[in-house]
Amino acid sequence: MAEVRIVAESRTEFGKGAARRVRRDHKVPAVLYGHGNDPRHITLPGHDLMLALKVKNALLTLEIAGADELAIPKDIQRDPIRGTIEHVDLLVVRRGEKVKVNVALHVIGQAVPDSLVVSELNAVEVECEATHIPTGFEVDITGRAIGTQILAKDIALPAGTELVTDPEALVVNITGAQTEAEAEAEMAEAEAEAGIVHEAPDAAAPAEALPGAE
Amino acid sequence: MLIPRRVKHRKQHHPDRHGASKGGNAIAFGEYGIQALEPAYVTNRQIESARIAMTRHIKRGGKVWINIYPDRPLTKKPAETRMGSGKGSPEWWIANVKPGRVMFELSGVEEQVAREAMRRAIHKLPMKCKFIVRDGVNG
Repeated sequence: MAEVRIVAESRTEFGKGAARRVRRDHKVPAVLYGHGNDPRHITLPGHDLMLALKVKNALLTLEIAGADELAIPKDIQRDPIRGTIEHVDLLVVRRGEKVKVNVALHVIGQAVPDSLVVSELNAVEVECEATHIPTGFEVDITGRAIGTQILAKDIALPAGTELVTDPEALVVNITGAQTEAEAEAEMAEAEAEAGIVHEAPDAAAPAEALPGAE
Repeated sequence: MLIPRRVKHRKQHHPDRHGASKGGNAIAFGEYGIQALEPAYVTNRQIESARIAMTRHIKRGGKVWINIYPDRPLTKKPAETRMGSGKGSPEWWIANVKPGRVMFELSGVEEQVAREAMRRAIHKLPMKCKFIVRDGVNG
């Protein structure tokens, strides 16, 4: 994983008023902690941070008052509608140190026809070196039969990465999809209860209803 | 249609419509979702109608989650009635939805199908909404 260098400034003002002033300047308030040190409050450039955090568990090199500090994002607060970053918690790490992080799962491929694929877990927790955090794990379901259950222990992990999530945790469940008749019957029942009436097809419309018809 | 089986009070005050949704702002179960952009009272008929519109389009193969529940009664006084004489009778069951809330989720279908199904469902809802995709889906 590539390291991203960001120049940070120390923050001396706190509270919502100060935080909003920081955000108005297109910056993001953040806190940096770890290794038993006191937390440090910093400000990061908004656009650079947004680009860096497009990669999950990105490794950041923060330049604070001339000194470099290696960190990974621990928690990112976003505006739920606009998606803008409001605050970031950063965890100090060292080279060679092992950290526990959540890594996203990507389901690839197509299961057998007439199957319903439901992802029960979207990420798994793993322990790995801070400088070698995987960006994601692929779960291949190509040709998998109905009734197949893929568990956390079935995910192929790279060397040096250990699974922390329960190995028996269900990741992907492949079940049989509804038949067309079942789906139609369920819809008809729901529509009858809701009082939804479908319009008659055009061919069945009475001719005298059309303007100019005799 | 979704209706509470038992309630503590038959008639309630109108729910507060201010502020943003405190929780339920992200996709929790599926891959795609409908997120509210405005506050609104969503009735159980609207929820059911949206669900039917979505399910009709995906036909089969997908799975739908409904993350809101119409647990608040709204009352109405009969037409041409003089004011007073107490509160009207319960008329609707509504979910009090605030901006940011993910109301419906869908999985097990292609993004194009999900997008169209949810577009149809959004037309059945009383507020502005947007289609959202879970982080990490499609790369």
